[in-house]
Amino acid sequence: MNAPFFKFGLFGDDVSLIVAFVIGIGFGFFLERAGFGSARKLAAQFYLGDLTVFKVMFTAIITAMIGLYYLSVIGLVDLSLVYVSPTYIIPQTIGGLLLGIGFVIGGYCPGTSCVAAATGRTDGIVFLLGVVAGIFVFGESFDLIKEFYASSSLGQLTFPRLLGLPYGLLVFAVVLMALGGFAGAHWLEKKIGPKGIWSNS
Amino acid sequence: MIRSFKQWTLNQKLAAIGGLLGFFALFAGDPYRGSTATIDTQELAVLVQKEVDHISSLELADWIIQGRTDYRLLDLRNDAEYATYHIPTAENVLITGLNDYPIERNEKIILYSDGGIHSAQAWFLLKANNYRGVYILSGGLDEWKGSVLFPSLAETATPEEKDAFEKMKEVSKFFGGAPQTGSRETASSQPAMPKLEMPAPSAVSGTAKKKKKEGC
Repeated sequence: MNAPFFKFGLFGDDVSLIVAFVIGIGFGFFLERAGFGSARKLAAQFYLGDLTVFKVMFTAIITAMIGLYYLSVIGLVDLSLVYVSPTYIIPQTIGGLLLGIGFVIGGYCPGTSCVAAATGRTDGIVFLLGVVAGIFVFGESFDLIKEFYASSSLGQLTFPRLLGLPYGLLVFAVVLMALGGFAGAHWLEKKIGPKGIWSNS
Repeated sequence: MIRSFKQWTLNQKLAAIGGLLGFFALFAGDPYRGSTATIDTQELAVLVQKEVDHISSLELADWIIQGRTDYRLLDLRNDAEYATYHIPTAENVLITGLNDYPIERNEKIILYSDGGIHSAQAWFLLKANNYRGVYILSGGLDEWKGSVLFPSLAETATPEEKDAFEKMKEVSKFFGGAPQTGSRETASSQPAMPKLEMPAPSAVSGTAKKKKKEGC
């Protein structure tokens, strides 16, 4: 049995929706349990007093990276079949900035806004309505931005391929970055305290 | 800081495990398998013996007429031959390009070349790479010409054969072919291949048609 299961035809389109549903519920559950249904918790990153989001996200990244790496080294996952979003450097930079501005204004990112809405928070529901409205506007105006949307394409980039480094070296480097990040976050949280840097005023 | 492992907090233990796994990754090698594959030769032999990997020209013609889109038809001949004539809905890909060609392992893939040899070899390569539904167009393009584009009726045909031929005429015309009656003309003159524009019920060719959008 090889993964990715869908690409190897272990299940079809219908079952893949069920699988996506189960994974989605699991994803939402752990986001909620980590406290990401609260805009205050999310925004606390920027005040450096509570870096939970940073730590949870980086933990997820290195868990997935180490898992995928070792599973494919022993031959259970065919990594070449795992979808890598193609890079369009300028449109994606602008899109990232837009998402960041939305994050700062609304206090959520798309995933956490769903969690907040599901737990009954009014700000989460309003945010989600905004997301839907944004999707609608994007869809309706797609013809106008189509060219820009597909400009500056760099193809499916990964760091090992881009830098010509061995894959294992990059895994190690990212793990080191994460461990350093965790230690730094721990130190900052202790030094600044739960209220954040702008709490004195 | 130097305490026994048991006294570490859970976070410290997890961080240590993560660090170790990251360190071993330095020596564990490349996760990409490249173009090497392992195969079960007996399993393939049984598939070949049962001939479950064949699709006849008439079946394929039927699918194209119905406008079905649940298959990918791959033409393994070179560009020039492809440009001269190809079966409607076919995509052109050389056998060396198969590894990188955007086809999914759970798609129904039909291969054809002039005869049957190249498609049989490509079938083997794809099967070895774990593609599930790979089929060979039985007899290749030669068979397609003989039974779909230019079907012929012998003068000594039985009534049943004549009935079947009447139906085939319709199919043949759909693909811009020319049904042949009598044995005289077929033997001497090779009928001209249909123009490419004519048989195009669903004019998708050359591009991957239903690429699934993925990502988060």
